[in-house]
Formats: sequence, C-alpha cells, structure tokens
Amino acid sequence: MRRFAIIIYVCLLLAVQGGCGALSGDRKDVERLLLIQTMGLDSVDGQLEMSVSSGMGPEETPALVMSTQANGIEDAIARLQNFSPENQLFYAHVQYLLLGEDAARDMLDGVIQWVDRSPTLRMDTDMLVVKGLAKDAVVGASQEATDVTQRLASLDRQARANGWTMHTLREVAAATAGGDGALCLAVQTAPTKGAIFTESQQADAVVPAGYAVLDENGLVGFLDPEASVGAEILTGDPAGFLLTVSGDTLEVVAGTAEIKGEFDGSGAPAAIQVRCGIDTGVLEKSGDRDMSPEALEAALSDTIKRWVTAALDAAQETGCDFLGLKGAVLDTAARRDAYGYRWRELFPALPVTVEVDGRVDRSYDLGE
Amino acid sequence: MDSELITRKQFSAAMVVSLLSPLLRLMPQTAVCFAGNGAWLSFLPATVPLALLGAILASFRRHMRPGEGMGGLILRWLGPVFGRLALLLFAGWFLFYGGFILRSGAERLVSTIYPSSGQGMFAAVTIVLALAVALGDLRAAARSAVIFRGVLVGALALVIALSVPNMDLARLLPVSAKDAPSIALGGLPLASVGAVAAGFSFLYGYADLPKSGRWTALPLGLLLVLGGLICASVLAVFGPELTATLSYPFFVMIRSISLGDMVPRIEAVVIAAWVGTDFMLCVGLLRCAHEALRPVFGYPKPDGRPMLDLGAGRFLLWMEGAAVFAISFFFDMPPWLLRQWSDQYIPLASDCVLYGGFLLLWLVTLPRRKKETSRGV
Repeated sequence: MRRFAIIIYVCLLLAVQGGCGALSGDRKDVERLLLIQTMGLDSVDGQLEMSVSSGMGPEETPALVMSTQANGIEDAIARLQNFSPENQLFYAHVQYLLLGEDAARDMLDGVIQWVDRSPTLRMDTDMLVVKGLAKDAVVGASQEATDVTQRLASLDRQARANGWTMHTLREVAAATAGGDGALCLAVQTAPTKGAIFTESQQADAVVPAGYAVLDENGLVGFLDPEASVGAEILTGDPAGFLLTVSGDTLEVVAGTAEIKGEFDGSGAPAAIQVRCGIDTGVLEKSGDRDMSPEALEAALSDTIKRWVTAALDAAQETGCDFLGLKGAVLDTAARRDAYGYRWRELFPALPVTVEVDGRVDRSYDLGE
Repeated sequence: MDSELITRKQFSAAMVVSLLSPLLRLMPQTAVCFAGNGAWLSFLPATVPLALLGAILASFRRHMRPGEGMGGLILRWLGPVFGRLALLLFAGWFLFYGGFILRSGAERLVSTIYPSSGQGMFAAVTIVLALAVALGDLRAAARSAVIFRGVLVGALALVIALSVPNMDLARLLPVSAKDAPSIALGGLPLASVGAVAAGFSFLYGYADLPKSGRWTALPLGLLLVLGGLICASVLAVFGPELTATLSYPFFVMIRSISLGDMVPRIEAVVIAAWVGTDFMLCVGLLRCAHEALRPVFGYPKPDGRPMLDLGAGRFLLWMEGAAVFAISFFFDMPPWLLRQWSDQYIPLASDCVLYGGFLLLWLVTLPRRKKETSRGV
C-alpha cells in the first residue's frame, strides 16, 4: 500500500512539473506572452472600443497596437486575442489606463467593478482621461521607434512641472465612492510634426491638459490648466512646478492651504474661508527688472488667488466637491451629522473668501 | 510534562492559523458595513464576548480529566442521552462548517487568482490533504502550524508594510464617541471568528494546556490585533465606501503591491499561502468532529496507528471527510449567495452553536460543577 501511495505521489509530481497550467489547461507560455502596458477605453455609439499597446519589445521591436469594438471589456479582450493568435496577450502589467471623454462619462463605474473582479488589472494603475478619444492617444502616439507607454512614462514628470499630479484608479474610485468628486489628470494628443524632425519618431505627443473632474456617475467636466493648479494647491502637495508671474519664471517650493468654515447663529455653514501660502524662488528673470520683491509677491498672490478661485468656482458650479471642502468645513461630529447629508445642496451657495500669501525667495537682485 | 502532548505554543499556533481563514473572509467588509471608518477599532469590543467565552471554557477545563477533551466532559456531565445529542449537534456543526470552509476557500482562490478554473478541484485537493493529515498524528499538524503561523503573520505584516505608501490615514478618521454603538456592532464579526477557537476545546485532550484560560489571551489577542490592522490598512487605502463595495478589498490591495521592478506582483504567492489557513481549519474541524463523535460510539483516540488503519473508529474520519466534501457541494451556489452565507448565516449559526451551546452547557451544568468543586474534583 505504501509503495502504491509513493507511485501515485511521484506521478502527481511529474504531472505538475510543468506548472499547474499543465493540469488545468490554463498554461501561459512565457515565450508567447505579450505584455499589454497601456489600455485605452472609449464609448462609441453605446459600444466599448478598447485600444491596447504592448511596450516596445526587446531589441527595439515596435509595440503591438490594436483596437476593437465589443460589448464589454472581457469581450474586447477575447476579440483582441483573436487578432493576435501567435501571442498570448497578458494584462497583468498594464501601467496606464486611458479613458476617453465619453467612456469616462458613461463607464467609470463599470471599469472600477471590472478591475475589482479581474484578477489581472490593478487598482493602482495610473488613470488618465483623454480629451477626445483614448484610441487617438494609444494609436496616434505609437510609431516604429516609439509608443504610447514610453510617452506616458514621462507624463508624470511633465504633469508635475505644470503643477498637476497623476492619480491612480484607486484614488479616483475611493474619492468618488465616498460621494466626493475626484480629480484625474487629463491629457490630449498633440501633433509633433514641425517640432520633431526624425520621421520615425513623429508620432503624436500625449501632453497633460489639466484635470478632469469625476463623481460617482462619471466625468463631470474639465478644469482649465490654471484652475487645475488652483485645485492642486488646495488638495495636493504643490511643489516643484514653474509659473510665470509678470514675465518672471518662479519655481514653487512649497504650498499650504487652510480651509475653514464660518457658521451662522444656528450653527449652519454660512461661508468658506480659504487661506493659501505659496513659497517660490525666482528661476528666471525676464520681466520688469525694476519690479520690487514686494510687488512681485503681490503679483504672485493675485495670480494664485485667481487660480484658486477658479477651482473653487468650478466646484461650486458643478456641485462636485472634488476639493474636499466638506471634510474641512464640517470639522466636528455634530456639524457632520447636521449638514453632511445636505452638503451637496449647501456648498454651491456658500460665499467663499480667498486669501493668498505669496512669498518670493532668491529675489536679492530684484528692484536694485 | 507529557512529551506526547501538543504544547501550548503549538496549540496556540494552530488556533491562530485556523482562525485566519474566517478572519480574512469576513474582515474588513463586514466590520465596515457596521462601523464605517471606525471599523479598525472594532477589535476592541470583540474582546468582551471572547473574554466571557474564554471564562466559560476555562471553567470547563478545570473539570476535565487528564487526556479528556470537551467531548468526554459533555458526555460525562450530560449523560448518555443528552450528552450524545449535544455531541451529535456539535459534530454536525463542525462538518457543516468544514464543508463551507472548503467551498468558500476554493471560491476565494478561484475568483481572485484562477478565474477560469473550477472550484471542485481545489475543494477536492484540500479535503484529501486535510484528511491525510487528520488521519495522522495531530502533533505533526500542530508543529506545522507553528511554521504556518510565522509565514502567514510575516506575509500579512509585509503586505501591510508595503501598502503604507498607498495609505491615507485621514480615511480612518473622524471617529467620535457617537460612533461607539456602531463600532461595538462592528466587533460582532471578529467575535464570531474568535469563537471558532472554542470549538478547538474538543482537542484539549491532546494538549498540555494550563487549567486557567489566560493562555488563550495571546493567540486571540494576536488575532484581534491582526483583524484591526487588516481593517485599518484596507480602510486607509480604499476608504470605507469603496471597501464596502469591493469583492475582496484586502486581495485587491495585495494586487497593487510590488517589490520594485524585480517582483512586480506578489499576490499569487501570498494568497496561495492563505490556502494553508483553510487547510489547517479543515484539519481542525475534521478532528473536532471526530472528537465529538468518538465518545458517542465509545471509540479510543485515533492517533498512533497507521494512516490507512480503519480500526478504533478511524473509519469515522474517512466518513467525516466524505461528509465535509459532500456538504461543500451544498455551497455550490452563485458568489453573491455564498457571500450572504459567509457574512450572515454562517456567523449567526456559529454564534448560536458556540456561544449559545457553551453558555447553555455552562448553565445546565452549574449544579454539577459546584458539586464537583466542593468535593475537590
């Protein structure tokens, strides 16, 4: 009996030597795996259009770029696999998820649910909303010597230089599920002909274009680039980006924002106070050389105030609290209980005052 | 100390490893449904019912004879009729719960890692392995639990540590005194999980355990702290609302973890390690069921015999394994229904059998215990 058990055990071991796929039939041959690195989703006439790009292969082989229309994401995955039978498309390493404008409007919840259920894609995948079609970005930015993933890899740095941050699907999902709005980096394609003269690299560029605003139902709208910087100052960690004030280029070193509520006699929210502090350093002096540091600081404060106000106005106009005003204003349990459930009705009507304290360092040669 | 017995350390390890299975299934979602963003504090109220249950079990333990488990004690105290009925009830519950664990473990593995696979195969492999271990020496299983505990607690700690960059601690707040009732309710799932340890009292006869119940504070404390940490980390990563809507939030969190570019994904290894918790609980439940049935039919302890020996009531273990596997097919149901069983019916039934059963036993045996205590037994 013992010998029989040993024989069975050895046979089982031999059977699984090739991995569990040898038994289950779900075998993944590493040689045939094609890692999809960027996935774009569009909503076209009520149908899903999925565009994917593998990264550049070893020895600089061009990326495989494909697109198909389907009834759903899994259906699209199956169809794309049919287009490329020699490869096994593998989605576990998708780095960027691009949602076209319409897809972000119609399909956000479906995408979040799919990623939750899918054993492949991660919640922490970087998410971008494309102004227009995601397909244009995935297909248009790929060419013989470059592909969309390479272009997107540098986007985070580019975005930071503009004062914006790339967000993940998880961050967007967590914010929208909580009933607040979410910010998500918006991108658009830009032709490079006339800027790049190497023909094999003349694919479209994917450039940051401010923030998209999303709520639990999907895309609410886009913030213009300046309001996007204002939103970043209020919600994020604004540092390391450049801005031009009175012709001078300043680098933002640090920023702070304090949001407080004012309350009437009955304890109801009556107004919102916003105080921002921005520390900058002069990077390039191209404007008025006679301008005093105080005047430059005043101009900086005005600029930042305009941008922050634009972000606050957008939040109030859309009724979408993507700036997290609720948590800051309703700062006690009693206030949250009394007004939290009505916040979306209340906050668009609240008057907002904005104060900005702009500081400019490295200004020793100004006004002399 | 009898070297043939399982040590306290090994018994504690077996408890922790086994209880991690229901813990990871229920937490953090069920606690979040009750307590919202205060769910990470729900391990605190769970200590109250668990301490009470621990005190009840300790009072039973003081009356157990050397080598006797809960099965022998129940039969001795309740007599041949009511004792057998009570033991059959407990055995039935262990087998039913074993069937559920088998299926829910398979469902979790399939839905998170191998979506194109069947659950039956995973259930079959688990029960075959669990039966093989249950037929062997219980000490071997307890020794392996010490290793499993190290691996699993280490894996959990690693997962939580690697998730720190994704955490926003503001999502854990605000929590105020007004949230206390909901946090107390949030402790119910953890209290249910901890109560499963009470079932292990049927195995006390194999272990060298102190008469006082204080030794249980360490394994249960570790379990509660792990429950709190899991809740806190998931809440800090996803927030309460998203946590409540995700299918397996802790697994979704693990999917996002990478160890740099070298190991971009670690979830398969971690989740496969968790199969060990289902396996260990299945072994424990099979032996608990056997320890409940053995006194009913008057069979001796099954240890120390060849694995395939059917004598001394060991055929019962095979039948118990078959019963658990058969019951697992009862849970061959749509995932949403299995979730309903997992989150509502099973914890409720478990609480009724374990809290209710042991409390009832404590009440009806009160005069007997007083008598035995006064006689110095």
